[in-house]
Amino acid sequence: MLSETVKRELKRIVGEANATFAMEDLLCYAYDATNSSYMPDAVVFPSSAEEISLILKMANSEGFPVIPRGAGTGFSGGSLPVDGGVVVSTERMRKIIEIDAENLTAIVEPGVVTWELQNEVEKLGLFYPPDPTSLKFSTIGGNIAECAGGPRAVKYGVTRDYVLGLQAVLPTGEIIDTGVATAKGVVGYDLTRLLVGSEGTLGIVTKARLRLLPKPETTKTLLALFPDIKDAAKAVSAVIRAKVVPSTLEFIDSACIKVVEEHAKMDFSGAGAILLIEADGGADSVEKETVTIERICLENNASSVRAATDKYEVKDLWKARRAISPSLHKIRPDKINEDVVVPRASIPDLIAGIEEISKRHNLLIACFGHAGDGNIHVNVMYDKKNAVEAASAEDAVVEVFRLTLRLHGTISGEHGVGTTKSRFIEMELGPAVIDAMKRIKATLDPKGILNPGKIFPKAKGPEKAEFAVAGKQTQ
Amino acid sequence: MRKLVELKEELEKCVKCGACRSVCPTFRVLGRETACARGKLTLIDACMGGAIEMSEAYLKHLKECTLCGACRDTCPKGVDTVAVYNAARVDAVQKLGAPLFASIVFKNLLESGRIMDVALKIASRLQGLIFKDGTLESGLLSRFSLPVIGKGRLLPPLARQFFLETSEARGLPAPAKTGQLKVAFYAGCGVNYLMPGVGKASIEVLKKAGADVFVPAGQVCCGMPAFASGDAAMARQMALKNIEVFESFECDYITTSCATCGHGLKHMFADVLSAAPELKKRIEAFSAKVIDINALLVNVLKYRSAGKETGGKLVTYHDPCHLNRAQGVRNEPRELLKSNKDITFKEMAFPCSCCGLGGGLSIVNYDLSIEITERKIESIRASGADIVATACPGCIVQLRDGLHKYGVNARVAHVVELV
Ligand SMILES: Cc1cc2nc3c(=O)[nH]c(=O)nc-3n(C[C@H](O)[C@H](O)[C@H](O)COP(=O)(O)OP(=O)(O)OC[C@H]3O[C@@H](n4cnc5c(N)ncnc54)[C@H](O)[C@@H]3O)c2cc1C
Ligand code: SF4
Ligand code: SF4
Repeated sequence: MLSETVKRELKRIVGEANATFAMEDLLCYAYDATNSSYMPDAVVFPSSAEEISLILKMANSEGFPVIPRGAGTGFSGGSLPVDGGVVVSTERMRKIIEIDAENLTAIVEPGVVTWELQNEVEKLGLFYPPDPTSLKFSTIGGNIAECAGGPRAVKYGVTRDYVLGLQAVLPTGEIIDTGVATAKGVVGYDLTRLLVGSEGTLGIVTKARLRLLPKPETTKTLLALFPDIKDAAKAVSAVIRAKVVPSTLEFIDSACIKVVEEHAKMDFSGAGAILLIEADGGADSVEKETVTIERICLENNASSVRAATDKYEVKDLWKARRAISPSLHKIRPDKINEDVVVPRASIPDLIAGIEEISKRHNLLIACFGHAGDGNIHVNVMYDKKNAVEAASAEDAVVEVFRLTLRLHGTISGEHGVGTTKSRFIEMELGPAVIDAMKRIKATLDPKGILNPGKIFPKAKGPEKAEFAVAGKQTQ
Repeated sequence: MRKLVELKEELEKCVKCGACRSVCPTFRVLGRETACARGKLTLIDACMGGAIEMSEAYLKHLKECTLCGACRDTCPKGVDTVAVYNAARVDAVQKLGAPLFASIVFKNLLESGRIMDVALKIASRLQGLIFKDGTLESGLLSRFSLPVIGKGRLLPPLARQFFLETSEARGLPAPAKTGQLKVAFYAGCGVNYLMPGVGKASIEVLKKAGADVFVPAGQVCCGMPAFASGDAAMARQMALKNIEVFESFECDYITTSCATCGHGLKHMFADVLSAAPELKKRIEAFSAKVIDINALLVNVLKYRSAGKETGGKLVTYHDPCHLNRAQGVRNEPRELLKSNKDITFKEMAFPCSCCGLGGGLSIVNYDLSIEITERKIESIRASGADIVATACPGCIVQLRDGLHKYGVNARVAHVVELV
């Protein structure tokens, strides 16, 4: 609960119209794409770093949590006000401040929607590659805080690779500028990289200087159908081994294919898996690459490989691909969605291992994702009303994590830890690493007011006992 | 029509992915979660469950929506958001006992050719005193500051003679039995009271296309505005009356040049009358005949323009939500325009984005409504077109107002006027 004084102060800082305590508003800032909900005590819509700084200073003196929020599309609960407090929405900070075509940089406010930036820079022949599947509605601030990645990561890397510098407000209220405006820079610790992927726990990003690239001349999209999922997995490794770098290499298994068919009104009957592959660059090299990719797919028993015929088909395919995640519920009522990553050469082992886990637990596990960089979205499908099924789903997820780590992978490639994975980080990170992270957090946020309850497990306990709660998180 | 409680499963389908934020025109302007579908569904759910009252704020959020259906189209979970919104509006009206807006007007629109017409005609004489010609295609600007109308709003003048009273309409009371396809023309309020020219052009092109067109007398408002205001009872009466009028003629098709009326006739009638199973067959027979004029011309009558002088060169097209999303008619108007060799067709950016008028938004919150229009006007400006074609009188009104307000010199016309 916030005192009347705090409420009055908040209104004074951001303006009467930009602070709300109304139940109607609070309800709409209580959730994110995990589909769970915690009520905040207030939502504010600041317009500047200075306003955010004042709010954070007050949070320290008055002791209330502050939760940064972009579009609320996170898959790990990062923007959930789990302990109540004040949600700081960046929805009013949505200006593209500058696009510098000479230095290939852009300066944006955190609330800019990723696609809007891409759209603007592409008009100038430039290119901002990070493309989380949520790019049409998630924000740059959220992308930075989660270090979002997408299909293009296989060639172009993730958000981290495009952040040159940040303006951020530290939990204690200081406004800092990190990074450089140049192509390189090594003065001091790399605070930019510390903030990227910190899930809104170390600072609130108020401006970002981003790196741009020239827009690739042309893009070609291939669709390869495989009767056997294992062959598709092998083809992924083979493509990478052949030193071809496609700009995207997406993997879609048979359960997900059904969803795609429905969305794109296409027929993929007989396919056990699909690879959606794009090559981009100069026309000549794209042509050469797609020929190689096609050959490799056929060598690995693809039943057909074809190029998307026009831009509408490409658009439809991607629209369908983007719809997979939210549409999986059509297969089973609930799902536990994980985004594990393994070294690319280990993808066949991961797929085989998941198939085995799925059979043993008699659960459908739907897999799709950015196979090109080893990042597979693993969706354990179940019905939470069925207690037996729910319990096996929990076991299956833990086994998928173990398998991933055995293959030298990581349990989250892009969605972050937030609340949904905090109880598992000890599986991956050693105690000394976690301790170092906690000390960084405690130094920057001594009162623990910025986005509390995220990343670090609250109390120690066996991973399974705490899982009951995670089962609820069925984005 | 399904009641709100019966739509609980639609609400539960929402997984809060946020995809609806990317398309919502009101969210684009307001930038608040409460404006987009994810927020609205949350509020409707909360209100149903008793977590919040049917408060001022709740109603405000409910009304801040053009019912454009973009969220429904984009939702990967297939949540029928518009059905939920309509049901929530009806539910609110039942609990509050009054429509969300403009109830008096609807009552008059139920009576064809009677009180409303007389009242409006007096108004049309008076309008010269209150308004001055806004020059831009002779829309009207108020001479005094009129709070009900909105500052600087360009309103279309009332027609001196309503379409249904023109000799063109009256001269065609029943099919001429020429052996051609018998097509009944439904005018709708926009065409009747504001744009008789569009009605005349519709008749003309239908004749040219080889239809035995006629205009049944006694037709009344389709009820879509009443329905949007949550007044389902009124919409029901209007639906019944229209069905009766059109049933008394034998015809192959019922067509209209209003996207909203078309959607109403084709879908809303069946929806509001679904509680009466004895009417089912009659409604089905009626709805099956309803077809938008663009679709009728292109798909059935195979009409191509032989070329027509339009006074413009570059023409772009705005997709009315009630035609594109609600009736799936996208290519037909474009084909028609492209068939006129005297003009060049150019697609604008975001042709499907809502003009901002719908769902009663221009009545309950004109400022928001016209701000939504701004994006559309920017698209038009960037396209360089000198004529904006569309296929709905509502959109025409809003686009004219927007072009005037944001200072873009282009003319708005209905597709039928250009082919
Ligand atoms: C359908 C769907 C598909 C998705 N696909 C992908 C994908 O392919 N790749 C991927 O990486 N992710 C994906 N996501 C997850 C999600 O969209 C990303 O994590 C995205 O970056 C979140 O952005 P947001 O603006 O919604 O942030 P929010 O969800 O609002 O917040 C996410 C985190 O960022 C913090 N935060 C937000 N703004 C700031 C700021 N200005 N300063 C500091 N911290 C801040 C929040 O506190 C929170 O911890 C997907 C989500 C959905 C619903
Ligand atoms: S797109 Fe559909 S499922 Fe996603 S938040 Fe909006 S209404 Fe809910
Ligand atoms: S119908 Fe249109 S205006 Fe209403 S919530 Fe959906 S997208 Fe927004």
